[in-house]
Amino acid sequence: MTQYIQDPALWAFLVGTPAAAAVAVRQRRAARSARREVDEVRNHYTELENRYSESVRKAQEQAEEETKSALKSAMRTLQGLAGEQQLIISKLQSKYGESLVLQDLLEIDHMNSQFGRRAQSIAVLCQGWVGRHRDVASVYDVVRSAQGRIRHFQRVEILSQVDFGITSRAVEPVALALAELLDNATSYSSPDTIVEINVRTVPKGICIVVDDAGVGMNDEERARAERLLSSERASGVSGLGNPPQFGFAVIGVLCERFGFTVSVDSSSPYGGVRAVLLLPDELLTSMPERKEPAPAAVGAVPTSAPTGPETSLNPSMTSDGLPKRRRKRPMILVQNDTTATPAAPKRSDEDTAAIMAAFQRGTRSGRTTDPRTMGQLSNTRDASEGHEIP
Amino acid sequence: MTPMTDPDKPEPEAAELVRPYVITKGRSLPDDEQFSLITLVTATLDDRQRPNRLSPEEQNLLTMCTGGYLSVAEIAGHTRLPLGVVKILLASLVEGGYILTRPPVARAVLADREILQEVLDGLRAKFG
Repeated sequence: MTQYIQDPALWAFLVGTPAAAAVAVRQRRAARSARREVDEVRNHYTELENRYSESVRKAQEQAEEETKSALKSAMRTLQGLAGEQQLIISKLQSKYGESLVLQDLLEIDHMNSQFGRRAQSIAVLCQGWVGRHRDVASVYDVVRSAQGRIRHFQRVEILSQVDFGITSRAVEPVALALAELLDNATSYSSPDTIVEINVRTVPKGICIVVDDAGVGMNDEERARAERLLSSERASGVSGLGNPPQFGFAVIGVLCERFGFTVSVDSSSPYGGVRAVLLLPDELLTSMPERKEPAPAAVGAVPTSAPTGPETSLNPSMTSDGLPKRRRKRPMILVQNDTTATPAAPKRSDEDTAAIMAAFQRGTRSGRTTDPRTMGQLSNTRDASEGHEIP
Repeated sequence: MTPMTDPDKPEPEAAELVRPYVITKGRSLPDDEQFSLITLVTATLDDRQRPNRLSPEEQNLLTMCTGGYLSVAEIAGHTRLPLGVVKILLASLVEGGYILTRPPVARAVLADREILQEVLDGLRAKFG
């Protein structure tokens, strides 16, 4: 036993064990507290990070909101100006309808419409003003209105029509959405190809189908378009890309706000994109009566009597519930026998004035014709003066 | 800094939904010789033979000229479209063979005032 007591190794062992144990315990404790500290720091860090991203997000949202409201009011002004200018151009067109200036006025009108549409699109992205109130319009007229808002409108052909009207609330949004589709269709197809529009009746409403003969969309573009057309898109003006692509974003906002749908998931028989705009029954109504014909009606009854969705119970319906198109009576103003002439429809004062003015201008220009050319004319023509050629 | 415009004031009426350049399909004005204000126009086809592909404005013009002759000026007065636009539409209808035009009735040549005076003088001299 003593030999063990005298063994320094034993003593070393006896002393060393508790010491080692103590060291181990202390280290473990230190490790534990260090771990706790690390956890704390980590928590703190995540919290900071969350708070940071939260404030970044808020700042972004705020910036987005501010950009939106600034753009919205700027576009409101531009839209107003474009609208006013359009009215002035319309007046000029009827004032100078006879002269060669008309050709230029038509071009200016076209430019102005495109300009107005651009402002309108940006406004829509910023949850702004869609445009002035419109009366109920036929689907065909809304399609043509959309056609007029793009540059290459001459390449668009409307191949079929339906006898439906679009409710006044939906006229502008549908025209704008369709204009964006047509803009895409004409921009992404070769300039010598035609963009076709077909309008079809479907159980849920009507479909306006736009087919182009372009190169189509690749998977990435299609995915982007579908995202923008669905409700999960990023709203607002950021994220439109560079150069910004407004089209699908604008259409997406309009679809959500006014309750129609647009899909671009099929391809056109001509190889390009087929876009389908589905207008549900709620946005449809019976055909509006045309304002233009029958001057007898001018000023008598307001031609666009309160028509709305409720006019779906219009008496002029077929047995299938489809609106019936009123047959326009032929207007016979010049009769071959003179007996019926007193029954000619009454004209409004303005119309009479315009006709008389036109007549006067005509006779005046006739009188001022150069006598030499008159001489030639009467030489070349056998008709005797003052008598009708039978 | 507040804008002077009153947001409650009624908005001016919007211009026509379908613009005239769309109605004319971007075609340009026909020659003056083809259509003057007093050129007379009539539809060649009966109401029922009319093709469906024409625009409502073209249909309207055809309806108007069915059954008789109308002058270009009169047609323009009824349609409320600018005269040039009506001329473009009429030109395209002529191209399609849907309407016929007839040149205006030739104007009576005004008699020479001097000759009349001479005749008058001669008559006075002879019969007192």
